[in-house]
Amino acid sequence: MSNIVLQVEGLTKRYGELIAVKNLSLAVNEGEVFGFLGPNGAGKTTSINMICGLLKPDAGRVLIHGQPVTNGAGDVQARVGMCPQNVVVWERLTCLEQLQFVGEMYGLTSALARQRGAQLLERLDLIEKRDKQARTLSGGMRRRLSLMLALVHDPEIVVLDEPEAGLDPQSRIKVREFIRSLARRKTIILTTNNMDEAERVADRIAIIDHGELLVLDTPDALKRSVGEGDVLEIALNGQAGSDSVQRACQDLKQLTPGVSLDAAQSTLTVRALNAVNLLPSIMEVLATSDLRCGEVRLRANTLEDVFIQLTGRRLRE
Amino acid sequence: MKLLSVIRKSAREQWRDPLTLSLVLIFAPLTVLLYRLFFPTGSTTYTVLVLNQDAGVQQAAGQLWNAGDELMGELKQVTYADGSPMLIVEQITDRAEGETRIKNRGAQLLLILAPEFSQVLQSGMATDTATVTYVGDLTQPYYAVAAVMVNSVFEQFVKTVLGQSMPIRVTEEPLGASGARTEFENYVPGLLIFAVILLVFSAPMAVAREVEAGTLRRLQITRMRAFDFLGGITLTQMIVGVAALLLAFVVALLLGFRSQGPIWAAVVIGAVTSLSVIGVGLIVACFSRTVTQAFLIANFPLAFFMFFSGAMFPVPRLTLFTIGNQGVALFDILPPSHAVIALQKIFVLGAGLSDVTFELIALSVLSMAYFAIGVWLFKRTHLAAG
Repeated sequence: MSNIVLQVEGLTKRYGELIAVKNLSLAVNEGEVFGFLGPNGAGKTTSINMICGLLKPDAGRVLIHGQPVTNGAGDVQARVGMCPQNVVVWERLTCLEQLQFVGEMYGLTSALARQRGAQLLERLDLIEKRDKQARTLSGGMRRRLSLMLALVHDPEIVVLDEPEAGLDPQSRIKVREFIRSLARRKTIILTTNNMDEAERVADRIAIIDHGELLVLDTPDALKRSVGEGDVLEIALNGQAGSDSVQRACQDLKQLTPGVSLDAAQSTLTVRALNAVNLLPSIMEVLATSDLRCGEVRLRANTLEDVFIQLTGRRLRE
Repeated sequence: MKLLSVIRKSAREQWRDPLTLSLVLIFAPLTVLLYRLFFPTGSTTYTVLVLNQDAGVQQAAGQLWNAGDELMGELKQVTYADGSPMLIVEQITDRAEGETRIKNRGAQLLLILAPEFSQVLQSGMATDTATVTYVGDLTQPYYAVAAVMVNSVFEQFVKTVLGQSMPIRVTEEPLGASGARTEFENYVPGLLIFAVILLVFSAPMAVAREVEAGTLRRLQITRMRAFDFLGGITLTQMIVGVAALLLAFVVALLLGFRSQGPIWAAVVIGAVTSLSVIGVGLIVACFSRTVTQAFLIANFPLAFFMFFSGAMFPVPRLTLFTIGNQGVALFDILPPSHAVIALQKIFVLGAGLSDVTFELIALSVLSMAYFAIGVWLFKRTHLAAG
């Protein structure tokens, strides 16, 4: 237990009738990248805001190194750095000025805040813009600057709320590499609904929906939980509702149990350890059932499969 | 340390927003300039139209004496203490034309002299019919002033013609330099305070900008205290307010304004007033989540400052109680009311800072009270964890 840096116990937040976060409990280990996943409105940002002390929980508590922070006993400001979901910068301050200003607000000396600011600008490729006002920067640059503002006081826990949102591929790679470079030296809590982002950088992932924690494990373990091996997706070109498809599904389940039919998408999904070897047999079953296949895709299991299985396909916003 | 950081940051933002800054700085000096243009001679001149129907009378020497013409000459001689004319006297020939000009605010008073005006004066006999008529819009304050002036000249004229003299000698002794002040100069204290009053917009807008952009939320998780944040914004705004006040003051001086008291005392009063106005602005900020909202809400205290403090219009004092020999009125909770009184004492009566101690203490107490209320409310509305 000694390497647990952040512990959340029974955290609950209500807004009238709506329970935004319900009895959330989890522990984050020192030096890990902790992914916090969930659909829009699942309660991720509310949870993060409570962890950072921006929101007062209705029940439960947050502990950093075993010290409660929600009642103000812990020094949460110095230990936690937060990068909010939206880009939050001072439009009329230069990059270096705002890093210095935020550093000073965290209690750093002006000189140290400037030095740390310059280092961060260097690391995130914004050093050439150090004396430019934020309003003159591109969207990607502003987001990188927003990220730096969370780090200028060198916190041990960094909370990043959707850090890759709105970034172009180049900036996304840069930010991802930067987050990876922070790992081990700092504990990172990352909220996102980008599965790819989470899978690439997170050591452990918690999936939350309707304010409740659904699962918490490593990305590999989570993927295994929805089925080992590969995923074979076969487009049925609108034949999903027919009797022959139902018959084919029954026959395929004789070959392998991981068969599911998505009528809305008109797609047949087969999960199997040896999907490649099974492919000729599967195609034969479909041909016997007089079904014409469209696109056939073979891919590895992804975190998105886990996410969709747990949270469903229904749109949230 | 953090307070200084906030001041530096706010000052940079203010400096880099030249449009907003220049509007705040220029508005009051521009108003001073406009007021000077309203009073080309320094004070109001009243246009008096004269319909002189006086037929005159033959004198013993065979000359025709027209008292109406003589009265008009006397009216033209009425001047302010600085020698500038008080009345513009114009002769007209048609009553309807005169009434139309009054209705259109082109003149304040129409003086009609009857055909027998000279005859009645010469005889010294009372008549039943009116030989002199004042026509004007009695709802207009300028009419009343013009009528008093004309009537004063008229009575003196009649006494002179009839060879009468006043048994009692009446003299007027102005306080300080009030007798020699132009009307423009009387408006200047209010206009200077107007420069400071405008901070009731800019201060809450500066705070609301941080709330709206989310930057305040970013600062909320730092070690910054409400005092640092609001104190920094307050001091930056105060510098802007004092700068606007000084600019307006310089413009007023260039346009002929004269101060009997020390100018630095007026600046001290302006600075303390700006603190209290910003304090009110901070309270406005507590109820604003956007810049637009701050702007709209700030109109409420602005209206009170403008209409009930006496800065722009005279208001009756509703005295609630007395401290020593100093009455405390309902609208004394409005900082500009003390500021205007203090500035008038300094500018007109030559008072120093020690002579406006009550106003200075009142302004200081109001500043501290409004700032404390602002900080207290701000902690609960914008800095508290929800």
